Amino acid sequence: MFYLSRIEHTFRVPPSLLSLPIEEAVKGELERLFLDKVIANLGLCVSIYDIISIEGGFIFPSDGAATYTVVFRLIMFRPFVGEIIAAKLKESNATGLRLSLGFFDDIYIPVHLLPNPSRFKPDPNKRDKGMWEWEYGGEPYVIDGIDEIKFRVHNVSYPPIPIEKPKEAKPFAPMVITGSINDDGLGPISWWVGAEQTDES
Amino acid sequence: MKSLEANAGALTNFEVLDFLRSKGAANDSTRVLAKVAPSEYKVYDYLVQSAACKQTRENINEFLERCKKYDLAKAELLNIINIRPSSAVEIYTIVEECEKRFGDAVEELVELVEKVLPPPPIELKPEEGIDEGKEETGNIDGGKDEPATGEQMG
Repeated sequence: MFYLSRIEHTFRVPPSLLSLPIEEAVKGELERLFLDKVIANLGLCVSIYDIISIEGGFIFPSDGAATYTVVFRLIMFRPFVGEIIAAKLKESNATGLRLSLGFFDDIYIPVHLLPNPSRFKPDPNKRDKGMWEWEYGGEPYVIDGIDEIKFRVHNVSYPPIPIEKPKEAKPFAPMVITGSINDDGLGPISWWVGAEQTDES
Repeated sequence: MKSLEANAGALTNFEVLDFLRSKGAANDSTRVLAKVAPSEYKVYDYLVQSAACKQTRENINEFLERCKKYDLAKAELLNIINIRPSSAVEIYTIVEECEKRFGDAVEELVELVEKVLPPPPIELKPEEGIDEGKEETGNIDGGKDEPATGEQMG
């Protein structure tokens, strides 16, 4: 789920930070630049792990600040395909489920990756919201969001930044995880709590 | 920005939690004093209620040592440590072609997991955890859409 990535970046450290020791100033700037941002194909940056080297300190002509080249390591959130992750239900509508990890919300379970056969029950009180249920052995198993949901990572994509955004579109998500809960042991945890005995007998 | 090494090593959930704790995420109840960003607190909140919460370096090393004989892939071990499966059906989802490779040894593996890795905190208080994270950012909507609004670099 988490990886280290080694990155080199050249950036300007504004003179307002001159009073700080160089490591602190650089770290502060790096946090401002990278924390909680998605880097395409590397994932979501969680934290600055360490700074390996700071070089340079050039002042370019007509620029009132020093420019440093820094090599550092970031903790990235980047799930691999096939990984099992526990998440919470965030939204449930006719197109599937949306899950959240608290710090990352763009996880979608489309209808064709829900357990088969699943049915959608619209909520009469709320427009286009509702609950999915899986029918197994004649009994409905409801995805109600009370307990955690385990899903398998099906795909991780980094959509390009749209040049023109249609009005009323969803907010742009730079990293989208598609998950699947169509397998034994996946889905809400409570589904499988008493299931082992019957499974193995 | 230049990516020198995209994958400079995988981290278990425990290691990330340990890193955030070492930055002072656990000691500061007001969440203002420690040098931990709001987004880092969100990750901390997620990890603290996961199975990583009570794990220690010794636990994990012992588990890896005793798992050598099963010949599991690195990703599978990583996933087992993160999820801490407590039943056979959970192992089946993590380990590929479990039936073929393990047969009856699955039970043994479940026992090993239960014995070596500490159990996750009992029925977590998820609402609190997530709410706190939201308070941290100061506005509820902003917290929700954070990853969506993050700039893309690269």
